Formats: sequence, C-alpha cells, structure tokens
Amino acid sequence: MADPRTHRLRLWSSALVVGVVLLAVLVVPPLVQLDEQAVDLSRKLLPPSWEHPFGTDDLGRDLLLRCVYGLRISLLVGLVAALVATVVGTAVGAAAGALGGWTDRTLMRLVDTFSSVPHLLLGIFVVALFRPGVWPVIASVAVTHWLSTARIVRSEVLSLRTRPFVEAAISGGATRWRVAVRHLLPAVLPQAGLAAVLMVPHAMWHESALSFLGLGLPSHQASLGNLVQNARSSLLAGYGWPTLFPGLLLIVPTLALAGLAGVWRDRLNPRRRSELML
Amino acid sequence: MTAENVLRALDAVSAGRAEDAVLSVRDLSVRFRLRGGRTVEAVSDADFDLGAGECLALVGESGCGKSVLASALLGLLPGNAETSGTALLADPDGAAQTDLIAADEKTLARTVRGRRVGLVPQSPAAHLTPVRTVRSQLEETVRALTGTSRRARRKAAEDAAERAAFPAGHLDRYPHELSGGLAQRAATALALIGDARLLLADEPTTGLDRDLVDRTVDELRRHADDGRALLLITHDLAAAARIADRVAVMYAGRIVEIAPAHRFFGPAGPRHPYARGLLDALPDRAFTPIPGMPPELSALPEGCAFAPRCPLATELCSNRPEFTANLACHHPEHPRA
Amino acid sequence: MLELDTVTAGYDRRAPVFRGASLTVAPGESVGLLGPSGCGKSTLARVAALLHRPDAGRFVLDGTEVTAWRHRAPRELRTAVGVVFQQPRTAADPRLTLADLLVEPLRATGRRAEAAARLAELAPAVGLTPDLLGRRAHEVSDGQLQRACLGRALALRPRWLICDEMTAMLDASTTAALVAAVETYREETGAGLLAVGHDRVLLRRWCDRTVEWKDCLPAEEGP
Repeated sequence: MADPRTHRLRLWSSALVVGVVLLAVLVVPPLVQLDEQAVDLSRKLLPPSWEHPFGTDDLGRDLLLRCVYGLRISLLVGLVAALVATVVGTAVGAAAGALGGWTDRTLMRLVDTFSSVPHLLLGIFVVALFRPGVWPVIASVAVTHWLSTARIVRSEVLSLRTRPFVEAAISGGATRWRVAVRHLLPAVLPQAGLAAVLMVPHAMWHESALSFLGLGLPSHQASLGNLVQNARSSLLAGYGWPTLFPGLLLIVPTLALAGLAGVWRDRLNPRRRSELML
Repeated sequence: MTAENVLRALDAVSAGRAEDAVLSVRDLSVRFRLRGGRTVEAVSDADFDLGAGECLALVGESGCGKSVLASALLGLLPGNAETSGTALLADPDGAAQTDLIAADEKTLARTVRGRRVGLVPQSPAAHLTPVRTVRSQLEETVRALTGTSRRARRKAAEDAAERAAFPAGHLDRYPHELSGGLAQRAATALALIGDARLLLADEPTTGLDRDLVDRTVDELRRHADDGRALLLITHDLAAAARIADRVAVMYAGRIVEIAPAHRFFGPAGPRHPYARGLLDALPDRAFTPIPGMPPELSALPEGCAFAPRCPLATELCSNRPEFTANLACHHPEHPRA
Repeated sequence: MLELDTVTAGYDRRAPVFRGASLTVAPGESVGLLGPSGCGKSTLARVAALLHRPDAGRFVLDGTEVTAWRHRAPRELRTAVGVVFQQPRTAADPRLTLADLLVEPLRATGRRAEAAARLAELAPAVGLTPDLLGRRAHEVSDGQLQRACLGRALALRPRWLICDEMTAMLDASTTAALVAAVETYREETGAGLLAVGHDRVLLRRWCDRTVEWKDCLPAEEGP
C-alpha cells in the first residue's frame, strides 16, 4: 500500500473529480434548460470566453453545454455497458468455476473464441447489425468486455472452491447452489465490482472510438466521441479547443474513476492482520 | 533457609548473566491505535535479559502478544504501532549497545537485521521464494549482507547451509521440492548467514509433527550452544521443555513469570497460577483446560489480567501486581513439595 | 460403523496418496490416527468425511456403502459426519459472524427454525461467550475461531466426528478445552470419533485406541 498521505490525496482528488462530473451531468441539464443543439452560425468557432467557457463549435453551438451532454451520454453508456458486462461475466465465470467439468470447458472455450477476435472489430460488427443508437453501442461494449470479468471470477472461484471453508459447508449439508450463492459469490463480488468500475473508462473509450468512426451514436447526438469527430475538421483549420475539451473530459474523469477503483482495491487487500491486531 | 529462598537463589544464579547479556529488554511496550480510537496493548512492560549461549523460551497462548514482541525487536511493526522502553543489543565488540526500539529503519536494515539478529520464521514455505533455488536465495542474502566476490559467496552459502544441517546435495532444489523439515533448515540457514549473535525463532515448529519439532528445536539448541543467544517464541510447551534454559510466560501482553526451565517443568513447577494452568492442560499431565478465555488486548481489566480465570484470585487482584523477582502475582503458588 | 476397506485415494489416479488402507471406527468409539505430516492421513480424513471420493475400495458408513458418487456424497450421509480442520482461518468463511458460522449447517439444510435454539446450546458447549458471537473471523483469535469451527461441526448432531489435526495450531489450554468439548458431546450422543494427528501423547490420552500410519497405510496398534 502506498504511504497514507499519497493514498489520501489520490482518494480525495479522484472523489472530487468524480463528484464534480456527476454533479455536472446530473444537475446541469435539467437545471439550465438550454438546448445543446441550438445552432447560431454567427457565433461559430469562438474561442473560450466568459460567455462560452469552452468556446463554440463550427455550427456556433456552446461547447461547454455539448460537453456536459456528451459526458452524460458517454457516462451512461459506460456505466450500463459495464454493469451488463459484469453481470454476464460474473454469471459465466461463477458457473464455469463452480460447476467445472464440461460446463467449464464449454464456457471458457466460448470466452476464448470471443477474445480471439480483436475487440474493436467485434464491436463494429455488433453495431453494424443495428441502426445507430444507444442500445447497439451498449451491446457492442458489453459483448467485448465481459470476457475479462468471466476469467477473473472463474479463477477466483476455482481458488476458493478447494478452501476448507467450502468443504466445511459441503460437509454441513450445503447444496452446490447454496455453496455458490452463500460462500463463493459473496467472496468474488468485491473483485467483480472492482472490475466493473475499472471497466467504465474502457467502455467510455470504446463508445468514443465507435462514435469517432461514425459507427456509434447518431452523429448529431452529443457524445464525447462524436464531439471529437465533429471537431476534426476544425482542428485541421487550426481551431484546437473543440477537440481539446472533449478530449480532456474523456481522460480526466476516467483517470479519476481508475483512482477510486485503486483505493477500493487497496481496501480489498489490506495488510495481513497480524496476531496482535485482534 | 526456606524453600522459597532456595528457589530465589537458584533463579538468581540462572538469571545472573545480565551483565554479559546479548539482549537486554527493559519496560518494552507496544500499542496499536486502531480506527475508532481503540488501543490494543499488545505488549506491556516486558523486561528480560538474554545471554550468549542461552535459550529463553517465550510461551503463551496465541494472541498474547509474543509475536509482536519479536516484530518489535526487528523493527517490523506496522505503522500504527507505538513503542516505548528499550531493547539493548550488545555490539559484537562489546563496547557499545544499539537500542533496537529507538534505532531508525536505516540502521536496522544496514546493521541489525540478518547481521546481528537472525529470524527463524514461522512458516518456512512462505518465507522462501518459490521460484528460486535454495542456493540462489542463500547467495543473494550473502551478497546483500557482505557484498563479497562470487566465489566467496558460494562458499559462505554452503557454510551457512552446513551450519543449519541443510544437505549440500539439496541446495539446487526449489522450496516446493523440499520436505517440511528441510525447508525449515533452509530458512534457518538464511537466518545464520550473517552470523548473528541473536536468533529469534518465531513459532518455528507450528504444524510440524513431533519428530520434526524435536529435530528442529534440537538444531536451534545447537546454535545456542555455539554461543548464540536464542529467543524461542512458541506455544508448544514440549518444545520449550526440550531446549530452553529459562521460560518466560506471557499472558495478555505481559510477562507474568520468568523461571529456569528445570524448575518450571520440574517437580517444583512454576509459581504463577496461569503458568501452572498451562502445564496442567498438557495431555501428559492433568489435561484440564484453564477455564474461560484470555481477555481482549484492547479491553484489559484494571488489575491482574488473569484474575477472572484464576482459582486463587482475591480482592487484592484488582490491583495490578508488579513484576518483581521474575514474577507478577499477588498469590504465587508455593513450590510443590 | 465407519468402515474403510482397502481404500485407495488420491488426486491423480496414476499416483494415489495411499493404496489399500483399511480402518474401522465402531459407534461410540474414539480412534486416533497417528502419522507424520504429508503421509496422506488428511486425505484419509477427507475420505472418511465424505469430501473425497476414493478411487478404489469400499467405504461403508452405518451399513450404507458410499463409494460411488459424482459431485457430492448423499446429503444425509454427509451430514452424519462432522469435520473439523487444522487451520481455522481457512476453514471459516471470513464474511460470516461466529453466530452465523455455528448455525450455517442448519440453515443450509432447511432447519432455519431451530437455529436460535441450537446456537444457545452450541456456543456455551464450545466455550464461546455471547460477545464473541457477533464478530467475524478476523476479529477473533485462532483458538476462538477453532471453537466456532468445532461448534459448526456439531451443529447437526452428527453420529461421527472427524478431527483432522484439530489442535495443531493451538496452545495447551485451548487444546484441552476443545478435546473436553468433543468428549462432552460424545458422552451425550454416543458419537464415534476419528482424530487424525501427529501428537502421540495427545491422541493416546484422548482416544480409546490409536492407529499408527506406517508406510502410507494405517497399521493397528494398542491403546
């Protein structure tokens, strides 16, 4: 574990960033009642100012507002996708680890098959099946991200399965279902939760990548990926801010999330309690 | 002369090595501050000397603070520990002394651990790196301690293995290829490399079977006979009986009695009721447990910590007994006839 | 009757831990199995506790042969044998309080209603005070945790008890206390005991007879 002061600094700075982001995406849109799609060609590509802190884009739309909306949709996609992927991954991993035998072999070969295809390619394939929208993107992210959780959970379950406390439960008459639900699953849930939090940034990046390629959300919808994509032409024309701010919003909150996940991980693996700490 | 006086005199002879003590512990206390303001008094006012060639066994139930004492002597306590008191370690030339409690981490790392204090660990399997051979681990330790040439390193590693009775033919094996006994010897060899005068053995026999326990402690005894001071921390009274010169009994963080082993395990027996209770619990004796359980180190009673379980407790025991003449009890048992 | 008849068991069919081991424990009898560490006596204990399926030979418990089973031995036989392991730290689910740990077998077998009453009997029987029952494994000492593990093994009132090195990690007083708790239970219920261990003095004092494990096989020996 890092020394307590850097530890605390990491915790609070991460918490602060995540708090501000959550506040912005939850409170700002319903409060300000402004239209992030409002076009005003007389005010296009204005640099950051008091009136438009993030400047405006090539259609004169306020970038701060668009960034907030973009972050909101990206975060939503990231969270839902991570949740779906974690639930699927945990279920598959727990089933494979707890049941073993051919169930394990079948499920893990499935995982291997999915992993052998490059993630982005698989993601593109999934979104290409549907009309652009939020749900295909979530499905695309979930399909490519449950694999690592399944592996983590399975190996965790496998290592727990031979512990004497599981044998004691079996000896005490517990069914396989009860062992899985009462003893194995609670033991892996913190790990799975950690994997889920760490997955949110990945999911956000995945969404942005798809949107940047024009395969994600409909291009008029403000998402971080779409914002960067739309700003590309402005960047070539020498206007940096339309890419800078969405780019930063893609990086800083995800780093903060990873920071929080790190603190959580340290909590999960505390220094082994010695005899005297009782 | 009454029997009691004879005992005192005998005890005094056994303990009369204070001036040439390798380790001299005075009023050593270790406290842990936990979240929520609770304090765990893991070790309170420990007071003992350990001479060259002597084996002192520190016995007590698990959780009584004996391992904390060992960690304190090695400066390996976690950050929330508060220590007070002194633990003076004699320098090899005998002139100066180092206070293990006050010394900073750099001094401990560069001049004490491995060089002047060797640790024989509780579970050798966990103490050895699983992916490297015994030889490479020994040689690495030699290099860390002395920085000698490659050839000298090889020799020093083999010497240490020999001193620990670790067969040379097994040096190129990995820890998982060793039996429990050999793994224990490999760990002991690591502890002996720096030729430390003080050996700390923290529960070196836990989980070993009896023959292996006997062999392990006999080997430790041999290192004491070579002139090293040996602090054997154990809950295994039979192991202590086999090799110890003196026995220190710890209860709820306090040393309650220090007695010469021949008296402690002999017909006279210890004088503290807790120590007598421990012996009576042995399967080759009365095999009766001490009633109740030890108190929490975070909620110690005001007076004698053993009083709630003690058959001899009286009102007097609500005052904490002082540790004088190697005993902390208001109602010490008189020696058995 | 708990009967192992020329049982072979291990984790690899080509290299079993032991071959052709035979051992019987009569109802109400206590048998100590002595042997050095790593000789396979723990595997034998797991076979006797119906946690490990033998590769060959017969295992008969109270007249029912339970040699062939797939994932788990039948529940009514499994619960007829209580088992206590060497290391309480790994044998206790770290998320459960000691109270939950003690009555977990009752809950697992659908006898939730009896849990409170059984807890009130079990806790004093193994010497656990009420203030300890609300704590989790990491908040108690090894000895206290092992008391809870013994209580869990007794929760379903098994006819047989297997103690695999139950006291190897414990001090003399806790050892004597746990042995006393086992003996009290056996006097009340007439349960049979197989105590596996390496401490000759302890097992000879504790058990009606001891069996010495020689060359990977238990050989009969006097009391």
